[in-house]
Amino acid sequence: MRRRVVVTGMGVVSPIGNTVATFTENLLTGVSGVGPITLFDPAALPTRIAAEVRWDGPPLADRKIAFALAAADQACLDARSCGTRPRGDGGLSLGVGLELFRMDDLVASRRPGFVLPETLADRLSFLQTPSDLAVHSISHRHGLRTAPLTHVSACAAGTDAIGAAFRLVASGRRRWMLAGGTDSMINPLGVAGFCGIRATSTSNAIPSRASRPFDRARDGFVLGEGAGILVLEALDDARDRGVRIDAEIVGYGNSFDAHGISEPHPEGRGAYQAMARALADAGVDASVIDCINAHGTSTRKNDPIETAAVKRLLGQRAHAVPMCATKSMIGHLISGAGAVEAIAAIACMRAGWVHPTINLDDPDPACDLDYVAHKARPHRQRYVLSNSFGFGGQNAALLFKAFDA
Amino acid sequence: MDQRSAAADRDSVVVTGLGDALSTPCDPTPYLRNHKLRKYMGAQDDLAVVAAGRALEAAGLLGASPSERTGLYLAVGYIPFDAEDIDELHAESLEDGRFSMRRFSTDAYPAANPLLAFRCLPNMPAFHVSVNFDVQGPYFVTYPGPGQLYLALEAAAAALDDGTIDVALVGGVAHQRNFLVSHHFHRLDPPVAAERLADGAGCLVLETTTHAALRGAPIRGRLLALDIVYAPHDPFRDPPPPGEWMDDKTNPDEERGAASLPIALARVGPGRYQHRVVTRDGIEAASRWELR
Repeated sequence: MRRRVVVTGMGVVSPIGNTVATFTENLLTGVSGVGPITLFDPAALPTRIAAEVRWDGPPLADRKIAFALAAADQACLDARSCGTRPRGDGGLSLGVGLELFRMDDLVASRRPGFVLPETLADRLSFLQTPSDLAVHSISHRHGLRTAPLTHVSACAAGTDAIGAAFRLVASGRRRWMLAGGTDSMINPLGVAGFCGIRATSTSNAIPSRASRPFDRARDGFVLGEGAGILVLEALDDARDRGVRIDAEIVGYGNSFDAHGISEPHPEGRGAYQAMARALADAGVDASVIDCINAHGTSTRKNDPIETAAVKRLLGQRAHAVPMCATKSMIGHLISGAGAVEAIAAIACMRAGWVHPTINLDDPDPACDLDYVAHKARPHRQRYVLSNSFGFGGQNAALLFKAFDA
Repeated sequence: MDQRSAAADRDSVVVTGLGDALSTPCDPTPYLRNHKLRKYMGAQDDLAVVAAGRALEAAGLLGASPSERTGLYLAVGYIPFDAEDIDELHAESLEDGRFSMRRFSTDAYPAANPLLAFRCLPNMPAFHVSVNFDVQGPYFVTYPGPGQLYLALEAAAAALDDGTIDVALVGGVAHQRNFLVSHHFHRLDPPVAAERLADGAGCLVLETTTHAALRGAPIRGRLLALDIVYAPHDPFRDPPPPGEWMDDKTNPDEERGAASLPIALARVGPGRYQHRVVTRDGIEAASRWELR
């Protein structure tokens, strides 16, 4: 017997706010979090803009670990707003970004007489920081006593992490889960790596205008950073605790394109499969979908193919279903993207609004759906689909439902 | 450490194929469907493709797996990076003996081979397996060690049990004989000598009993039980001591990380086996198998 799974806590660290309330307010007013890179001097790199988090928390060397800890703290606090914590042993499912590699440390390590730092903590942050430190740090802080899951499916990792946690709670294999994603690649090697494959926007002159999903003038994604964490628990447990329920998760699907390394399948096969599997998992058809939170990267290749896949999924209704791109405001959070966008989808569903896709001045003719350009729109939503399609052909989709008892 | 995250008698999941690749370089050419992608492949990609290819071949599924009903559950080791590639970045980034962002952006970045990133990303082994064996089903791509391989195995068994898929490729891959992975293990307490770190990949083909019977597949074994427990710990202060056991064999001479379980199974003959691992990240996992 499959258990119903609900979201009872959310936490976010993002380029447009480090609380769910601020993040939501800025989403709905169309605030851009993109600006010149300040975390390091990008010098002559082709891309010199990013969506940075304004961070005044603990200054960990690896920002994505600090972000994940903060988002998890928020989510757990939120889930305890009724005075009790989720019941039973909890677990963690987290999409994590690449290991941080520090060029300064590389140079230091090649100097004569170099010795590794003395303490284990300093050594683990030296040169390369293993990304799984985030999951063990969170598990330790929150006393999560089931083995944590790490997801490294690139841009789909955050969505996969929530989907895997949903499956574990629905099947009764876990009582409750923290689930989400975290990333920060705004560092010399991260930015240079994306420049090297010409994936990021080079519209450095007006940063806030650079991320423009579905627009004819888009020229690549803008790198963002941040973390989003949800608390998932079985509906029965949540009801017994009397906690506020933000939404229900009703479906999850993922798929491989099995096609190209950096280009999606030309017909959006994998994207379609992931969305269709999420619907099948929920036992509903595409007619129920009221809104889609798009992957919407602002790259030449993704946006028209996502559009085509959505058209195939929704058929004649495609033009009537709003589809918004959170990345227009916060950039691409890579392994954190799916989780932060899930929070965007849930927050907007609860508010009864669809957030805008900013900078969509001149839609690409191949992108002809309703992307909610420029301004938020009131819109009642019962079912919202959230998409993440990864570099390397890994695709994931989650279906959220407004909680109606 | 009192939480059992998975424990069950599993008579619905059978092993129909086992494959491994034990050293680098290994040549994936026989298994490549798209040779244009060869230039993007690093050592961990080669290992994963060869192990998966051998396992599918043993299962009689090479070129015949049900694409949309086949899932991939893959644990990948720490990011590998060779010294010569790092040396180039280092040399081209120096100014007065210090790291210079100016030089990095004008000299090191343009000189770096853009394919380097593709060859070490942790989701790339999954990509290459999917594209060369047309796996379109669900996936779980995880990182970085043998405990995560067990979690992948748990997810695969659950997906087979609930009918989401008919076939699961469960694999682990670890390219560990390189500068960056050696650096990681060298700084642990106690440090792990680079000579103990081995490269390798292993892959199991698991199927539902029904699916295997329908296609008349040879049954190579069964997963009898799976247990995973975890002790939350502060990774910066108190990493737990590791160990690996395959029946009476304790702490093998070489560590194969995420690939240890499938490689261990691929190298033994018929019999009943228990594999147990205590990882440096606090996961203690055990599985029992019957192999024919």
